[in-house]
Amino acid sequence: MYLDMSGNTQSKRVEKSSPDRSLVPPCQAVCPLHMDIREYVDLLAQGRTMEALHVIRNGNPFPAICAYVCTHPCEEACRRGEVDKPIAIRALKRFAVEFGGDRMMQVEARTEHCEKVAIIGSGPAGLACAYYLRKLGYPVTVFEAHSELGGMLRIGIPQYRLPREVLDTEVQRLTQMGVEIRTNTRVVSLELLFDIGYKAIFVTIGAHQSLRMGIEGEESPGVIDGATFLREVNLGLKPSLGERVGVVGGGNVAIDAARTAVRLGARSVNILYRRSRDEMPADSVEIEQAEEEGIEILFLVTPTRVKRENGQLNVTCIKMELGEPDASGRRQPVPIRDSAFSKEFDALITAIGQSPQTPEDFRLRIGRGSIIQVDPITLTTNRTGVFAGGDAVTGPATVTQALATGRLAASRIDDYLQHRYPLASSAERESPIGHLLPETIETIRKIGRLEPPTLAAEARAEDFAPVELAYDWESATNEARRCLRCGIGAEILFQDKCATCLTCIRVCPYHVPYVDASGTIQIPSDQCQACGICVAECPAKAIVLRKPHDRRHITEELDHILRSAAESKSKPVIVGFCCQYGLFGTGTLARFWRGAKAGVWIVPVLCIAKVEANHILRAFEAGAEGVFIAGCGEQCSRENTAYWVRQRVAKVRSTLEQIGLERERVQAFVLGDSSDDLVNELDRFTDQIGALYLTSVILEEVKS
Amino acid sequence: MIVAQEKPLAEIRRMIDRYERVLILGCGTCMTVCGAGGEREVSYLHEVLRVAQARGGNGTHTVSEYTVKRQCDPEFLELLVDRVGDVDAVLSLGCGIGVQAIAERFPEIPVLPGVNTSFMGMAKEQGVWDERCAACGDCRLEETAGICPITRCTKGILNGPCAGTKNGKCEANKDMDCAWVLIYQRLERQGQLEKMRRYYPPRNFRTIARPKRIVSKANIDAGGDDA
Repeated sequence: MYLDMSGNTQSKRVEKSSPDRSLVPPCQAVCPLHMDIREYVDLLAQGRTMEALHVIRNGNPFPAICAYVCTHPCEEACRRGEVDKPIAIRALKRFAVEFGGDRMMQVEARTEHCEKVAIIGSGPAGLACAYYLRKLGYPVTVFEAHSELGGMLRIGIPQYRLPREVLDTEVQRLTQMGVEIRTNTRVVSLELLFDIGYKAIFVTIGAHQSLRMGIEGEESPGVIDGATFLREVNLGLKPSLGERVGVVGGGNVAIDAARTAVRLGARSVNILYRRSRDEMPADSVEIEQAEEEGIEILFLVTPTRVKRENGQLNVTCIKMELGEPDASGRRQPVPIRDSAFSKEFDALITAIGQSPQTPEDFRLRIGRGSIIQVDPITLTTNRTGVFAGGDAVTGPATVTQALATGRLAASRIDDYLQHRYPLASSAERESPIGHLLPETIETIRKIGRLEPPTLAAEARAEDFAPVELAYDWESATNEARRCLRCGIGAEILFQDKCATCLTCIRVCPYHVPYVDASGTIQIPSDQCQACGICVAECPAKAIVLRKPHDRRHITEELDHILRSAAESKSKPVIVGFCCQYGLFGTGTLARFWRGAKAGVWIVPVLCIAKVEANHILRAFEAGAEGVFIAGCGEQCSRENTAYWVRQRVAKVRSTLEQIGLERERVQAFVLGDSSDDLVNELDRFTDQIGALYLTSVILEEVKS
Repeated sequence: MIVAQEKPLAEIRRMIDRYERVLILGCGTCMTVCGAGGEREVSYLHEVLRVAQARGGNGTHTVSEYTVKRQCDPEFLELLVDRVGDVDAVLSLGCGIGVQAIAERFPEIPVLPGVNTSFMGMAKEQGVWDERCAACGDCRLEETAGICPITRCTKGILNGPCAGTKNGKCEANKDMDCAWVLIYQRLERQGQLEKMRRYYPPRNFRTIARPKRIVSKANIDAGGDDA
């Protein structure tokens, strides 16, 4: 028998012209590294952790570090937050790093250029720059004044937030790549570096100088600045603080210092912050965790005088109230008259900000706040061949911002050394998609956010063990499944094919498509939830999903399975389309997969709503004796998916009858549908198909 | 819009039985909208025929598929010349008009109807269509409050309701509204019940010659117009 495979010309047109038309999701748009968050979260939802880690590593030189300390602006931008709560993106990245085999990853680099590059400072910006320059093939040397690499990562961030092994692993990887490392080497002159053959220099010396409060008694013994305190602790010293510790400030350094003090044995720790909780710049989770550890935050309080008496610090404080917003947009604290009171501490840690301290001999142009002035696009300084970035340029900022600057610096230095005009990255030209409409939000299934587990508060004070723990497999999958997959929804690819039949409008569970004033159907990309129902139901086949992978996925998986089934020669063949998201997330489907008997071939699909009637028939054409579809039903993150699957099953059943096959050969299994165990139901189905197959074989023999 | 329904598979298989190379031809207008013969159905039928051959074993066909924007216009059919040249028969999923248009354009090629063209109507909801117009050529909807008794009354009577109406439903089908009760209710709401009292004489179908043709342009070349 010969059947023409080339007939389906119009569908081929879709396959051939499949550019990636997906739009930038908000998480990616705000990420300083512009990471493909949507992609790796989706891979995690499918249980493909190693691939997720690959995506993460593509966009981030040190994902393990970010997995612990990133301030996750992506979560603030996440549109899931408009529905219920944002996806726990950083915790998911942590899961990928822990379970995806990050430790096994090798990064290789070859020297392809002869121009040597010097990097002064080994903080996140310096390390990232070294990583990318090395990947581009440059010989790179990192100079570090301290005895170990990492900059603020090592001497600023406490161990309970970033375990040192994680940092060491990443540093180790740089060494493997062939980055030359010179610790205990303070650079005093840039000329010297040029003289010994470096063609470009990246200055990334950080912001280590604590700002002074400018109050009387600040120099008293027992008063220490936050940066120095954290540095001493992180380098292994154990400063004695006494029992009562005060911390001045409301940023992450203040919280870090306070929580470190708790771990050093302080009995009572008070944070004095001059504004209220809403204005506090520290991460809200960190603040919560600090309070869990018994730290008390005194809001609207500022110290005005410190006096040392009998080995104690007598700190005079004054109460504040909030006035008009200032330049930063936060409400300015105003002292309240006659509200002074005093507090007794054994030690006072000041953490009200830091600034860079650039050596005079670098002869770099310095701006307000002691920061190095650079061109924001090229990162060049006033000196030829000298680039600068990181906290030294921006003032204290986040690790992720520093990594992004490091990456940018690497490409700018590459441009400079190769005499290329620096081009703006494509990321800067993209515009992120808009907000969800209230009508859309209403129809989206609410699914609570799963927070990663944390160490019990009582257990934390004992040592510097990491406070946050990693997800287990099922929680990670379920958290990732909440992703709305912004910007990869459906679109009408061929407006000329669209018959304006309104099917998409009628089937969309989120009421997204609409008819515009000119009578054309529009599917707004910023509202579509990418469930795929309209794609399968469109009678003109005019609608496609924006991501090419989503368009081909089922056909490719099915072909692969059918080939394997044909090779195995075992009979009868039963093909099952099973939701890949449900495999790890629901538990039940996992048992379903594992519990399937021999002869059952599973085609993993990214939601059963995308399985079309044609796919089911394809399996029968290739010799399957039975086909079933198994989906998550009430546990699905999308709406109405099971309903449309049943519609298609009904259609195929009636077709099968007309061909002379039993309608029972197609079956839909949906979680929550039946009181009986799904695995038992599948067993019954398998037995039934086996019986039908036997009957047909016997009938054949009788006939012949 | 014209509404049609897929033909039973057995009938389609019988029709194509004697042809080796068959082109399944969809229509991108009414048949797409009513879900009977758009590109998705063309591709589904193609797959169904392949399964039928794989499982049934009889008959050898080379099936190809294509969908044109509208089968009932000759200009669109020019796009088919190459494709039709390669096949022994065209299985059209267009309405009866489409099938005939193709027959007219390609005199040598057998054209087979893949759907039963059923009526002119509208969608009630996703997947449900209702008949609304019989194309009688003599529209009386003004007198019947915008509800056509010819299509919506089982008996098609012009002076209703008949004695078979019960609780607003038709005696022929208890789930179906009586068209004349609907007409009455609408006329009552609009204060035009006098239209119910009027007598409508039987229609003279002899005056409606078939096949009908409408010429909406002036016959200028023949000099028969005052332009």
